[in-house]
Amino acid sequence: MQNTLLLTLLLPALAVPIVYVTGRKSSKAAAILLALIAIADIILLSTTVPYILDPATGYRYVESYSWIPVLNSTFALFVDGVSLSLALITLVLILTASLFSINYMQEKKGLAEYYALLTLLFIGLVGVFITSNLMLFYFCWELMLVPAYFIIGGWGYKEPYRAAFKFFIFTHAGAVFVLLGIGAIFMLTGSLDMFQAQTALMTAQPDIVKWILLSLTAGFAVKMAVVPVHMWLPDAHSEAPAPMSALLSGVIIGAGAYAILRVSLGTVFPAIMATDFAVQFLHGIAVLGVLSAFFGSLIALVENDIKRVIAYSSIAHMGYVLFGLSCFGLSLLFSAPSSQLFQVILAGTVLHLVNHAVSKGLFFLSAGAIMKQLEIRDIREMGGLAGQMPITATSSTIAALSIAGVPPFACFISEFLIFVGAFQVISSDGFYLLPTALMLVATVLSLAYALRYLSHVFLGPRKHEEAKEAPFFMKSAMLILAAFVIILGIYPTFFINLINTLSFV
Amino acid sequence: MISILDVSLPIISFVLFSLLTIPVVKIIRKRENNRVALSVGWSALIFVIASATVVNLSNKYYEQSSTQPFLNITLTGNSLAIFSSSFLIDAMSIYMAAIFTVVGAIVFLYSIFYVDSTERLSERYYSVILMIIGCIIGVAFAGDLLTLFIFWEASAAGSSFLMLYQKTTRSLHATLRYLVMIIIASAFIIYGLSIVYGITGTLNFWAVKQTLTALQDKHLLVIAFIFIASGYAIEAAIVPFHMWLPDAYTAAPASSSAFLSALIDQGSYYVLLRILIYILTPSTVLNWTVMLAVFSALTMIVGNLLALTQRNVKRLIAYICIADVGYNLVAITSVTPLGIMGNLYFFLIGGTTTALAFMTVGFLNRMGLETLDDFSGIGRKAPLTSLALLLSAFSFAGVPPLAGFIAKYLVFTAAIEANLSWLAVVGVLTSIIQTAYLLRLINYMYAKTPQEKEITIKEPKKLLIPIFILSGAIIILGIYPTIILNLIEPVIQQLPFIP
Repeated sequence: MQNTLLLTLLLPALAVPIVYVTGRKSSKAAAILLALIAIADIILLSTTVPYILDPATGYRYVESYSWIPVLNSTFALFVDGVSLSLALITLVLILTASLFSINYMQEKKGLAEYYALLTLLFIGLVGVFITSNLMLFYFCWELMLVPAYFIIGGWGYKEPYRAAFKFFIFTHAGAVFVLLGIGAIFMLTGSLDMFQAQTALMTAQPDIVKWILLSLTAGFAVKMAVVPVHMWLPDAHSEAPAPMSALLSGVIIGAGAYAILRVSLGTVFPAIMATDFAVQFLHGIAVLGVLSAFFGSLIALVENDIKRVIAYSSIAHMGYVLFGLSCFGLSLLFSAPSSQLFQVILAGTVLHLVNHAVSKGLFFLSAGAIMKQLEIRDIREMGGLAGQMPITATSSTIAALSIAGVPPFACFISEFLIFVGAFQVISSDGFYLLPTALMLVATVLSLAYALRYLSHVFLGPRKHEEAKEAPFFMKSAMLILAAFVIILGIYPTFFINLINTLSFV
Repeated sequence: MISILDVSLPIISFVLFSLLTIPVVKIIRKRENNRVALSVGWSALIFVIASATVVNLSNKYYEQSSTQPFLNITLTGNSLAIFSSSFLIDAMSIYMAAIFTVVGAIVFLYSIFYVDSTERLSERYYSVILMIIGCIIGVAFAGDLLTLFIFWEASAAGSSFLMLYQKTTRSLHATLRYLVMIIIASAFIIYGLSIVYGITGTLNFWAVKQTLTALQDKHLLVIAFIFIASGYAIEAAIVPFHMWLPDAYTAAPASSSAFLSALIDQGSYYVLLRILIYILTPSTVLNWTVMLAVFSALTMIVGNLLALTQRNVKRLIAYICIADVGYNLVAITSVTPLGIMGNLYFFLIGGTTTALAFMTVGFLNRMGLETLDDFSGIGRKAPLTSLALLLSAFSFAGVPPLAGFIAKYLVFTAAIEANLSWLAVVGVLTSIIQTAYLLRLINYMYAKTPQEKEITIKEPKKLLIPIFILSGAIIILGIYPTIILNLIEPVIQQLPFIP
């Protein structure tokens, strides 16, 4: 089909009013409609897989429509291995989040608005991965922000609008720096296309490009919640309703990492590869990655709020991804794209985004299921839930062990690939020795907080006799994600093949 | 061939209808029923005819624009051209006239619903609005400094009537302040103009420009520039001459504030753009970029910081108008085609967004809701109005896919292009402040619970019509700005041919 990607975006866009009207009558119908759209989008996107695995198309699938000719800007949509994997996993998360919402949000008010906002968020989440036009990218980037703000604010816990405010201000402040960078790219190259700009930037002055790179990366890092700009994340993730937390932690912060990979390292970085600054920059983000990993893991180890533990572990995991991105940048410097190092580290980093998305989504959903039953949040007051909520307990265990990097669950394989890449990088740049060692220590910490969480919540004496297993849709949402975590852990080859098509370009 | 009649028809038609409106509204008022339908019909008639005259002019202009992009049309024939009033028709003046007519029509529609036609003096209110639209189109078409001055002062003086309409003590004070400011401003401008006339012996734009370009000793010109620029700076409310604006816009009825922000404000930016870029072109005539860059940074910072301290919502929006001046100046300062494109786009978007905000706030003010605390929880009580205010707030903050985003993007990119990256950074940082206070407003609207629970708000359907037209425009122009950018493109293409 010719308009697959346009349809992928149009489908949710056209569905917004329909979901709203349906939601006025029956919120369940609206949620199922949303889930069906997600499935339709998965099918649509899957039809592009043959193009991406096909060398004749240059391993990508492209569509382009007229948009703002004056700004030399087309409505350019494309998928390649990396963006397709992330877009697919985003859709899986949207699907499960909307199923989960049926039971989870049941008693809440204004569900028509909730599902309409979720559909709006859907466009932004998917759009950000499938466009190659920086302007459109920024549109989708901000479209992730506004509906998320209202969902956190309108249906969150404690003082939700406070958390939402913090979330909005931080990420919007980051976004304007992204905008500044995009403006500078347009000024230097006259193009807003990521790939055209990459070639055009090669001839630009490295001094200016340096600032563009810093401005863009700083902006993306806010969304990714890298220490020291992580402050919005614990509040936003823990106060949001569980399905939203799953999307936030699974996809939205992952989009920050994707943006660093695609725009900072993909479009801008090649232009300054020859300078000393390139290496300094990569070392800098590696250090930030290690800091985030340690900071997140250590706080997760002492935090008692059920969702804050998971939120801090997201910061830690973005640390791994950032470290992986730094190694990836180094592999660009020292080896050819077809080299083994490039393939391993790229696959590891992107696969970790995918795996983290499903694992963390599952983790948040199961935490939501527990909160829904007990209506408390302190993990010290829980205990013995394993017998009462077997399915939730199983999914929590799968998610926690995956987050901790235990085989055969998903995150193990990607962390392993990142470390394999990092060891290879050490041979060409000795600086990475210490960060890699520290990262290995951080994985031990993540096992510690995962086990602490599991033992507090599910083991020990029963403290709440009234707790029951989660209702049907919540269970099925968790089971879908749990299946993904296990399948991705045992057979990651499908995604690795997709991602590594990038190295043939 | 464009005759003087084609050019003056839009102006004449507005002035004529302005005079006709007084008896017509009086007749409508006496009728028992169908009052609303009749007044809407009357305004539709006015704006259809006026738009037809503008479209006629634009068609005739574009038939021959490739050979003669800048048309100078005088009242008395060519021999006395340099002495007499003249009109300049180019792509930019056509564009401005078009947006003045369209935005004016929507704001006028709102005014009809907002200022009840059964009130005494309401017919004069409508009449003055039409008169000002005529004058502001005259500003867009003006071809020499004197014509520009006369039309501009006429519209500025007329706006004082719009501010004064409610006749409260507050509005009297504010209007007095405004009048004093514009009288000082016009004195400055007149003085500056007389110097320019003294140097060049003409007031016609291009004649002035040619003489000034050849000028060796520019000291006197700098003085003249300072007077003219500060005169128009007062009227455009550039910091530190901004003090009159918040008072005036807060005291005026909302329909007036909407009208003033959408037309008079944008008109004043247009005047600055025309004079600074088309006549006192930097590098060939006078280098004013550094000075203006400082003022624009100051305006953005002060405007946004003061907005942050406001608790009265209408006043808050008035301060956003000041901040918008700063963003417009960034684009003017850049003196690049992209900047001018950004400017012209901003004229439309900034105007519609502030007008939209004033319209929604105006309706809520009627209910006695003025401060942020009063706005607590209106998101649930007046969902449609709140949605419109929300859209305008996000558009101000530059959140895509709303139109304000493209406007800001163009402006900042223009600044980077002109090697004024520091100005772009200031703009970006201040727009974060802007996001903060707008988000605070949204937080009040949606998060807080109202203090007095018994207030119920009934949203008047009539007022929502113009509000939703503008909301729709903000969304559509944000997603597909090409509609407007196509109209702006001829202006950009003409830039290299400025005489």
